[in-house]
Amino acid sequence: MSKILIDIGSTYFKVSQDEGIAQYFRNFERNIYDDFQSRCGDLLSRYAKEDVHICSSANGGLSTLIIGLTHSFSLKYATNIAYNAGINIIDTVLYSHIHEYTPPQEQIDVVIIVGGIDGVKNIFDDTLLDYLKQINFHNIVYVGSDKSHSFMQENLENILILDNIINPKLQVRGEELKNFLTNLYQQDITGKEDIKHLYEFTSNQIYSTPYIVNRSMGMMHKTFEVADPFILIDIGGATTDIHYSRDLVVDNIVSESEYDRLVFKKLGVFKSRDSLVFSAKNNEFVYELLEFLNVTENILEEHSDNATKILMQLSIFLVLYKTSLHHNLYINLQLEKLNSIIFTGGITKVLQFEEVEMIVKFFCKKLLHFHQIPSLIIDDEYKIWTLGIKGSSHVS
Amino acid sequence: MKVVTGVVGNDIHVVANRLIDISLQERGFTVFNLGVNTYLEEFIDAVIETDADVLLVSSLNGEAEGWCRDLGILKSKFDLSGVVFMIGGNLSVGEVSTEEIIPKFQNYGFDLVSHQSDLNEGLDELEALLKERL
Repeated sequence: MSKILIDIGSTYFKVSQDEGIAQYFRNFERNIYDDFQSRCGDLLSRYAKEDVHICSSANGGLSTLIIGLTHSFSLKYATNIAYNAGINIIDTVLYSHIHEYTPPQEQIDVVIIVGGIDGVKNIFDDTLLDYLKQINFHNIVYVGSDKSHSFMQENLENILILDNIINPKLQVRGEELKNFLTNLYQQDITGKEDIKHLYEFTSNQIYSTPYIVNRSMGMMHKTFEVADPFILIDIGGATTDIHYSRDLVVDNIVSESEYDRLVFKKLGVFKSRDSLVFSAKNNEFVYELLEFLNVTENILEEHSDNATKILMQLSIFLVLYKTSLHHNLYINLQLEKLNSIIFTGGITKVLQFEEVEMIVKFFCKKLLHFHQIPSLIIDDEYKIWTLGIKGSSHVS
Repeated sequence: MKVVTGVVGNDIHVVANRLIDISLQERGFTVFNLGVNTYLEEFIDAVIETDADVLLVSSLNGEAEGWCRDLGILKSKFDLSGVVFMIGGNLSVGEVSTEEIIPKFQNYGFDLVSHQSDLNEGLDELEALLKERL
């Protein structure tokens, strides 16, 4: 029998069978399991559990705080590894100046402490412990010099110690931390009560959607007319993810993965609408962009179809802005080298090609000073997700 | 002993960099070679991450004056009192005498300055200074 592929998003369920893809808008009055059962229960009863493949992006994204010894090595390496694992960086703290940093007030999913090659002694002291006392975190992991292992174990309850991410030649060695973070991210998504119950429908592993989409990056040329280097922007209800070719990154880090990804936890148009609006209002270019779109800032307070369209257009701009050289908090991509941009996710059901094109033109003209734009591809049939989840169904 | 080395600024003299790396290793140093096109901040960060004893900056295209003048500021941000700071190579553009160059770079915060001299002579000087400090 054929397979059924399901994506649990924060706003829509997508169901792919041989006949095509159907999507169902979430009923937020109900929990995910009940909602899903009522809409797709009958359908699923026709499939064996091993033929059901599920991925989920509902409420996705973990936050991390990284404390490291230097910007050029420990912080840079840990930040890169965290991004590759789909984690959001809340802040990076330079340990020598830790007293100058205000501890974040929000809950941190994982704190990463890093510094020194193996053999370097006396890096961390009580200053670290005093700072950590002011932070509310779920997990803490140490990936620095082996000489600080006992200090960490003696003073920090539940600290997990992994291999140093800096090898003896001062190069990055991130596999163990990356696996830990990827698993944590995976657990966060699939460990949520609602999602756990979905194992009643499948005997296969439930994956995170960004992982599934990232899998399809290498196969993109088979389905789309895409030119390297390219980026893929997945704008959904709760998160906005960007998947990019490593050709667009300038750093001295050698990575095995050809394509990395970055998850913006707070740039969704439904579940994280407020933070998207906040982010937009604080952007220096957004008012000019709104004028360009022939609307006023009042649109940001409205709840209409037109407002949703504008918010989606703003998400496109913000995600490009946040990965450009104009913004240093996230990864800096050489967007001027871009040849193609692929859009997927809920955005493709709301925006027309011309509406996406307008924003990209504005961005290229305003920030890159280009009059030409990369080729745009709108994946309005969720082919990318299907490509990725089919890939995962072959391996599981 | 641990040495961090590399070529500062927009300078791609990789052969000289390689020769310094090999010579240091021959003398028994553990070398962290950051290669060409390295910023001063990266040198300092590498010294911190490795707890190095020596920072040996090289410059061949004569632009070190511009790239190294913030060394004092960077040194003041961290406790690097035990580290020997050395610079060598071709440290000026045009004809400038060694007598003029050495105090300038010492003023920037370098303990040893080796301008247009033989590599081995410079490394002999380094070893002599390290011996003296012990």
